[in-house]
Amino acid sequence: MIKESYKSLVEDELVKSSLEGDKNAFGEIVTRYQGMVARTIKGMLGDSVFSEDIGQEVFIKLYYSLSEFRGEAKLSTYIQKIAVNLTLNEIKKRKRFLSIFSQKGNSEMHEFEVADQDYEGRKDANEIVTKGLMKMEPKFRIILTMRMLQGYSTKETAEILDLPLGTVLSRLSRAQEQLKGILNKLS
Amino acid sequence: MKPVDVKELMINSLSADTNTEDAMRKLEDKGVKYSFSEGFRDKVMLSIFSAATTVNREVEFIRSMNSIFYRIALTGVAAIVILLLSIFLTQGSLSFNSFLGLSDSYDESIVCLLTGN
Repeated sequence: MIKESYKSLVEDELVKSSLEGDKNAFGEIVTRYQGMVARTIKGMLGDSVFSEDIGQEVFIKLYYSLSEFRGEAKLSTYIQKIAVNLTLNEIKKRKRFLSIFSQKGNSEMHEFEVADQDYEGRKDANEIVTKGLMKMEPKFRIILTMRMLQGYSTKETAEILDLPLGTVLSRLSRAQEQLKGILNKLS
Repeated sequence: MKPVDVKELMINSLSADTNTEDAMRKLEDKGVKYSFSEGFRDKVMLSIFSAATTVNREVEFIRSMNSIFYRIALTGVAAIVILLLSIFLTQGSLSFNSFLGLSDSYDESIVCLLTGN
């Protein structure tokens, strides 16, 4: 009964109740947006063991910064921004780690294969998408994740990534070129 | 959906005029789904609210340390007052020498040693 009543609440009501200390209201926010956060993080990092930890970090950060949320943008956009920032930070950390411990740290493609697993010989949709994503440069991968896995428009993508619309449009075409090359090699 | 169709869908989702929501749904229908494990919500809630409990415990500890400090400080002040009182009663004054337990007479050997006279 309690769960049902929270399901009917709109974003603003959930935020307000959470700020008043209602744990169930915040729990409903987690339930509602965990899928969206999972798509962003796993799209960017692959299905690694760290993805879930970063997912938790997103909601912990959200909880402690909820008082700063003014309701000017959608709550989903606010959460998405946190997820994108934490994911990009994680990629930077891994890149730094690779450049320290591997001589190949500066090579073009290998450094972005953060969660590449042995998908050779298996060609179902999930594997193609994962492998295609993991081979892309992070700045293009995030664009593909926002568009293909989240279904965002160009304008929404620009808003979430805090980029000018023109930059997103140019990255879209460059990402498309890179993806074509990657997918051709996959076949 | 054939691998070629998946690839085409991926490439098309990067075209500015594509209906990305439609592409997303098509991929989901074909099993391209990303989700966290079961119990993710509970893990998040546990991390947040157990952290809050830890913070509360730290605050409680600091408060109890503060009250202990006041008790120790008051006891110390009381001990100093009793000491001064006992010095005054036994020595008859509260001079520095009486505080250190020295009498007013000089030890001439020390004065000679220090001044050379």
